[in-house]
Amino acid sequence: MYKRMLFSVVVAMITILLVGGPGLAQVLNIAIPQDPDSFDPVKTVAAATGEVAFNIYEGLVKATPQGEVEGALATHWTINDTGTVYTFYLREAFFHDGTPVTLDDVVSALNRARDPKIAVRAGELSMIKDVHPIETGVQIELHEPNGAFIYTLAEVYASIYPAHALDLARRPVGTGPYQLQEWVPNQGLELRRFDQHWSGKIPYFEQANFMIIPDENSMVLNLKAGRVNLIPRLEVAVLHQVENDPNLVILSSPMNLVQVFSINNARPPFDDLRVRKALALGTNREEILHGAAWGRGTLLDSALSPSMASFYNDSLHEVYPYDPQRAKELLEEAGQEDLQLVLTLPANYPLHVQAGELVAEQWKALGIQVDLQIVEWGTWLERVYTQRDYDVSVIGLAGRLDPHAILVRYTTGNSRNFFNFSNTRYDELIRLGLKTVGSERREVYLEAQEILAQELPGVFIMDPPQIAAMTRGVQGFKNYPTYVVDVASLYK
Amino acid sequence: MITLVLVSILTFFIVQVLPGDPALLMLGTEGTPEVYARLRNEMGLERPLLERYLRWLLSFLQGQWGNSWRYSMPVRGLVARAFPLSLSLAFLAVGVALLVATPAGMFMAAKPRSFAARFMSVTTLVGLGLPQFWVGLLLIQVFAVSLGLLPAGGGSSPVSLLLPTLTLAIPRAAILSRFMRVGMADALKQDYIRTAKAKGVAEGTLFFKHALRNGSLAAFTVAGLQFAQLLAGTIVVEQVFGLPGVGQLLLNGVFQRDLPVVQAVVMVIVFLILLFDLAFDLGLGVLDPRIRYE
Repeated sequence: MYKRMLFSVVVAMITILLVGGPGLAQVLNIAIPQDPDSFDPVKTVAAATGEVAFNIYEGLVKATPQGEVEGALATHWTINDTGTVYTFYLREAFFHDGTPVTLDDVVSALNRARDPKIAVRAGELSMIKDVHPIETGVQIELHEPNGAFIYTLAEVYASIYPAHALDLARRPVGTGPYQLQEWVPNQGLELRRFDQHWSGKIPYFEQANFMIIPDENSMVLNLKAGRVNLIPRLEVAVLHQVENDPNLVILSSPMNLVQVFSINNARPPFDDLRVRKALALGTNREEILHGAAWGRGTLLDSALSPSMASFYNDSLHEVYPYDPQRAKELLEEAGQEDLQLVLTLPANYPLHVQAGELVAEQWKALGIQVDLQIVEWGTWLERVYTQRDYDVSVIGLAGRLDPHAILVRYTTGNSRNFFNFSNTRYDELIRLGLKTVGSERREVYLEAQEILAQELPGVFIMDPPQIAAMTRGVQGFKNYPTYVVDVASLYK
Repeated sequence: MITLVLVSILTFFIVQVLPGDPALLMLGTEGTPEVYARLRNEMGLERPLLERYLRWLLSFLQGQWGNSWRYSMPVRGLVARAFPLSLSLAFLAVGVALLVATPAGMFMAAKPRSFAARFMSVTTLVGLGLPQFWVGLLLIQVFAVSLGLLPAGGGSSPVSLLLPTLTLAIPRAAILSRFMRVGMADALKQDYIRTAKAKGVAEGTLFFKHALRNGSLAAFTVAGLQFAQLLAGTIVVEQVFGLPGVGQLLLNGVFQRDLPVVQAVVMVIVFLILLFDLAFDLGLGVLDPRIRYE
């Protein structure tokens, strides 16, 4: 009797396993270290939000893996002769709540994004004079021609959502290929495929879970145990744990992040170009690349990453090659043989701390007395970034789609210019860069980068590696120059 | 009550004193003065400290715990989700530790010279010395990666609590068994045991009935302390297993200077500990009539 019952139970279980197995929904589990902050596109400031929100929201245009923009909710757009009026032609599309995207939604979302009373990044859309609907689409009028404008429309803050949406921060309503189902802070986010996406393409994965795993070692163990299928950004320090695993695939690409030893250009003796030059000449970047990033990054000579291929100036390698002898001479010339400096390092970024420790040794070899000061991130932001009360520090500056957004930081008086860098020709070029288009625009930014390489707001080190690790079988991973994970492109 | 008010004042001002500004932390290296000023205004950071504290206290008492700055979610929801997990983890860990430690400690006291007792004694030392994050990673490596038996993390199912419970229970069991052994050995040397022995009470009754009650007092007191400590969350274990418990909530709250969250979490922790303390004192009274309250 018992035996027969046991037998039938076992048979039932096997049947469930066999029938249920292949029919189960396709789920992708992605590990990220941190929660988003808010899904209201005009309120969010955390990079972790953009990573997830890319799958939920879309703008009139969106970024491509090559760093260009292509039509999203707009099929295409035209620009008038003076370059000040953009006309966007909308396609038929639906929001996640089933309502159609209307001209009103587009106009109200863009107006909200540039309203300084509401939007955190309203300043970045300040080139817009007016947004108004026309019969077939939306017209955006600019104060003056602006080469960076079209790229700003691909940013999270320019996303389009319904004018009637109530609680975007927690319940985002977009048009993207995935919609947010649930968000449990410190645990994860569940995204569901949106079957009414305008492209008509149905992504392979029905469900995508972004799991919050702060510890990089357990991230790796979870990947090996199969609980996680994809780590889009793996810490270089744990790379060796996954490298030789035959069940995993590792993809490495530039991160579009510029690691730089920022020098306080306003504080003597660093206002003397000879001293800054000495620091640059005395920096062995090859050694930092190997010591801090296991040789995986890309060396930089400019404030742009090579991943911004259409604007990157690749002729600057020989501006200040490693030459400790020359560095010593320059320090002598400047009367700074006994130079002392404090090197402030942000404790929460192991890559920067290690780079700092390496450079400290290299500079000590020049006879400089280097005091290392490792500070917590909050302190770093307050002292180095805001008060600019420091000698030398190191940080990674995130890239954007358009060079202007990155390079404007180094203009005189810019509020993000914690280098206190100032150069008249450079300021002129950055202003000019906005007004020019086509290949001339590229020339402008090439020259601007050359000035940075020569005048040294800081010593540019590397674009750290972005390492994605995934279980074998997960395919279609696309690396973007912006901080996103494109779930819709993935399949198994 | 006074404790709660004092703790609320202390937490509030300690978070203020910490370097690092919540608005700055949210903006990172992309902040501008305009955005910064507006964020601070929205967070109410421009108001005087005392006014902010009183406002907070008033709304907190009315049950309005506000929104988290970091997650733009109501603090109550966050707290309500994190505590059940940490509570069950604390309960399970101490429970398992006691289940293991009580017989082990008793055995070590009963047969102190046996090989098994010596072996156990050494094992407890090892258990005490192992760092928790390492034990956690080791357990994941063995049970989740190599054997594939148990989930490597997450707090969604009861099964996934097994490994974290074990991680937490190992060092606690080690401590408890040592207290148990000392307590029992001490109890067995007491006069009343000798008297009982002389009166011919059976060995088993003597051991389990007469000595156990006195001998386990110390271990139970320590278990209570362990439980109270676990109520405040277990940052390391939660990080390793990716559990959305109180420890993570508090840690991220402090890192981001998310004052509404930190304040609420600390208040709830202190409240729970006070509550538990009371219950524990009463419970100990049952075990030991000498400390019963009049």
